[in-house]
Amino acid sequence: MNPTEAIPLLIVVLLMISIGGGDVQEMSVTFQGDNDIDSLADVHVVAGGTTTVPADATLEGDVYVIGGTAAIDGAVDGDVTLLNGNLSVNDGATVTGTLQTYSGAAVISSDASVGHVSQFEPPTPSSSPAQRIGAFLLQFLVLGAFGWWLAERHPSIIENVGAAITEHTLVSAVIGSLAATTLLVLFVYMAFTLILLPLAIVGLFAEFLIVLYGQAVFGYLIGMRLPIEADGVATLAGIAAFLLVLELLGLVPYLGGIAQLGVAVVGVGAVLNTYFGLQRFEPITIPGGT
Amino acid sequence: MGIVRNIRQRRWTTVAGYVLFVALMVAGYYYNITFVQLGLIDLGTRLVGMTETTVSMWMAALALVTLVVAVVTGVTMDRRGWSTDLRTKFRLLFGVVCVQFALTLVAPMIRTVPEFGAWIVLASIGLGVGFPVSFSLAIDLVPVPDRGYVAAAITAIAYFLANAVPLSWSIDVFSQLMVAAMAPGLLVLAVLSFVSYDRLDDLLDDLGAQHGIYGTGRFCHGASVRTRSLTFAVPVVLMFGVFFIDSLGFLRIIDTPSLLLSSWQSPELSTRLFIAVAHVVGAVMAGVIYANFSLSRIFLWTFALFALTHVMYTSDLRLAAVFPTITGNGASPLNPALYAIAVSFYTTLNFALWPDLSTPETIGTHSAIGIGVAGWLATFSSTALALYFQAVDLTLLSHLNVVQALSLLLLFGLAVGLYARRMIELARENGGARA
Repeated sequence: MNPTEAIPLLIVVLLMISIGGGDVQEMSVTFQGDNDIDSLADVHVVAGGTTTVPADATLEGDVYVIGGTAAIDGAVDGDVTLLNGNLSVNDGATVTGTLQTYSGAAVISSDASVGHVSQFEPPTPSSSPAQRIGAFLLQFLVLGAFGWWLAERHPSIIENVGAAITEHTLVSAVIGSLAATTLLVLFVYMAFTLILLPLAIVGLFAEFLIVLYGQAVFGYLIGMRLPIEADGVATLAGIAAFLLVLELLGLVPYLGGIAQLGVAVVGVGAVLNTYFGLQRFEPITIPGGT
Repeated sequence: MGIVRNIRQRRWTTVAGYVLFVALMVAGYYYNITFVQLGLIDLGTRLVGMTETTVSMWMAALALVTLVVAVVTGVTMDRRGWSTDLRTKFRLLFGVVCVQFALTLVAPMIRTVPEFGAWIVLASIGLGVGFPVSFSLAIDLVPVPDRGYVAAAITAIAYFLANAVPLSWSIDVFSQLMVAAMAPGLLVLAVLSFVSYDRLDDLLDDLGAQHGIYGTGRFCHGASVRTRSLTFAVPVVLMFGVFFIDSLGFLRIIDTPSLLLSSWQSPELSTRLFIAVAHVVGAVMAGVIYANFSLSRIFLWTFALFALTHVMYTSDLRLAAVFPTITGNGASPLNPALYAIAVSFYTTLNFALWPDLSTPETIGTHSAIGIGVAGWLATFSSTALALYFQAVDLTLLSHLNVVQALSLLLLFGLAVGLYARRMIELARENGGARA
């Protein structure tokens, strides 16, 4: 695991340590090779390689695993958290606190002593048809309400963004992909400073809202091509059709994902190029030529 | 896009102009970024036995001589009317390629410092004559609205080839490849320069007359851009800044094996291909932005991308400094990919900008000063600064930190400058504050 790949999970670990009252300054990290650790300042992070707590060692502190392999043969007087990678708690090993697994592979011997084992179960929206339909309806309600409001109350705004999508697709795609990527990187690095973490979260949320805005406009564009007179209703129908198409695209491996991504960046670019619909996007007119 | 319309209307002469310009510029730029920028280091250090510092000093000298020769050539072209004579430009270019062909052929045989020095001087003359001449072809061959896309195509093809084709950075390999590639190019240029028969003459006459339509650049309509005006000086300064930070950062990156072997010289084809594709994506983006937005927008994006790239590089290094075990693990290909996008941005801008700041009467001078000052003088200065950093044993992190600071400063300076310009415009429009 190199620094760029480790950064997101290290941010999570730093946050967890800060929230848990731990001392970030005392944190040690292993990235590669085989390492035995028999003492701990406060927190140890396993990001790569293999780290072993020998059978005769007792660590006083917490262990986080974000990559590589951690093998516990001795005792950990604290918590062990697995975010990614492999963790094995072997025969005779002891973990006095909580062994929390979020992701990765954990093997806990029946002869090991663990204070409390907790496994994080992420919500899986696709686990049942009812949940999927529920999520789809929720997305439709939010986008539909927003799209209906825009089409009925501020038609020129949604029209401006729509025109940027249909008339300047490539320009919207370029600006959308560039802005989305650079802002994403910027927010991740802002989060890493910890001081700017709230701003980074707000920024990421705003970026997500811009994607939704773009989706609503795509729905509006589809709606305007439907034989429905009222703009608001047509937009609602268009958004339903658009979301359905997005769902169907998701079923196509690779190409479906690329198409979804393409739609998202075009939408983001169109929203940004039109200053959220406040101004129609007109490219520069270059004089000369034929 | 004009080229699509030209193809639909079967205007093959104009289409041939696009193809010719892209081919010539790709060949010239590929030669520059491989043979000149990378091959010379190998020639100087491995075959002649000089230290890397000495070779860098020679390369700085090459940059300086090239600048002087270019300005003399550019001014002469405009004064003597060569800028508007297509045949003359092809003949000059043929002469330049002949010199470069001979220099490329003999380069692997050089073993002594005087030979190396003579080679540098002759190469500078070739480059100095070559780039104002080749850039001035834009006024004959490329319609103004398409210059952004044409510049993007040149950048994308040159960088894709330079990164995707696995070549060792050695003078022998570069020399063999270049000689093989230049031979047919030389033949084509000889035909264009000296052969005369009806169809070719008609083609060249048609192309040569196009500067009447395409000659006045995008930023020269309304009022011509004078060489001693702010309209010309500001882009020169900004491009100088971009070239400078790129060169200063890249000089150190290619001197750091862990960074180099995980990116541009990676043994993994997939990594190099990833960087090559990033170059293409960056060039296309820059082309689209250049053709659809104001000039300030593309400068802002370029500086923002450079700032972000160096923030990522320095953040990784800071992280590695805190956790030293990380240093042996190599770097992520994301950083060089972002770097590649930033480089493609300004390279595309560089190909389109100077012809667009010129008219047929000023193309030679403007492209010579533009590329000479922004490109070659920046390279000279950054090399000198990099050598100083090397002499004072500046660490990799400190070196890239300076580059990061400069890129952030340029980004901030440009944003403030644009804002201030708008304020001045408003003040002039309103004659003071509006109630």
